[in-house]
Amino acid sequence: MTQLALTGFLGLSAALFGIGIFGILTRRNFILLLISIEIAMNAAILNFVYFAAFATGTNGLTGQSIAVILIGFAATEVAVGLAIVLGLNRLKGTINVARATDLKL
Amino acid sequence: MILEELAFLALAGVAIVTAVAALLVRELVHTILWVAIFFVDLSAIYFLLDAPFLGVLQLGVYAGAVTILLLFGIMTTRKRIFSREAATGIGPVPLALALVTFVFLVSAVGQLPQSTTTLQTYDPTALSVNLFSTNGPWVLLLGLVMLAGVSGAIYLVREGRE
Repeated sequence: MTQLALTGFLGLSAALFGIGIFGILTRRNFILLLISIEIAMNAAILNFVYFAAFATGTNGLTGQSIAVILIGFAATEVAVGLAIVLGLNRLKGTINVARATDLKL
Repeated sequence: MILEELAFLALAGVAIVTAVAALLVRELVHTILWVAIFFVDLSAIYFLLDAPFLGVLQLGVYAGAVTILLLFGIMTTRKRIFSREAATGIGPVPLALALVTFVFLVSAVGQLPQSTTTLQTYDPTALSVNLFSTNGPWVLLLGLVMLAGVSGAIYLVREGRE
């Protein structure tokens, strides 16, 4: 059986979440924004897998099930996000989110 | 025991370096390549955590489908796919906010009991039984959300929309 410390794993996902937040705040390209959201979401999914691996009994199965479902949700989000990218590109000729201001009053 | 710790440290280092590189390189295609390495690295971490089903799913969905989808998005939205992004300055405020998020999460980690625990190994069969019986409603909800997402995506990109 493998013995590992939980804190290192949680530090890794905290760092990845911070990197994702940093990307969301700094990047203006829609595809880079999507990638930043994916990095942050992967950090969250990793947490579910860690706690599943360190749970007692069969409780961890629920954590892994939630991780599977979250991977599906993230894939759906990328598909919809890319549809928005294509629509924005057709409408504006650019995928810079700073130019997508049509809903502003 | 020490071998797994070294493997985890290496994988964690690669994950952080590739995630940062993906957000800092100027060519979008290089971003996709870094992010593909990031996804493969995460699936290696899943294998390290004795979750082979999730590792395979991560490889198939993220390293396979999402990477190709993002690459396709880049190909269709620019004339030359290797053209560079305009440099965006990294302001101090986003960096500070990201650091605050990291410090907040790490301080929450500090509240946990500091001990090594034995990893649990699960049979993929037991996982699928749990997924489709106990968490069956969530799988149904995921199907509904995917259906709505596909419908919305088709509506967004269809031809002749005013």
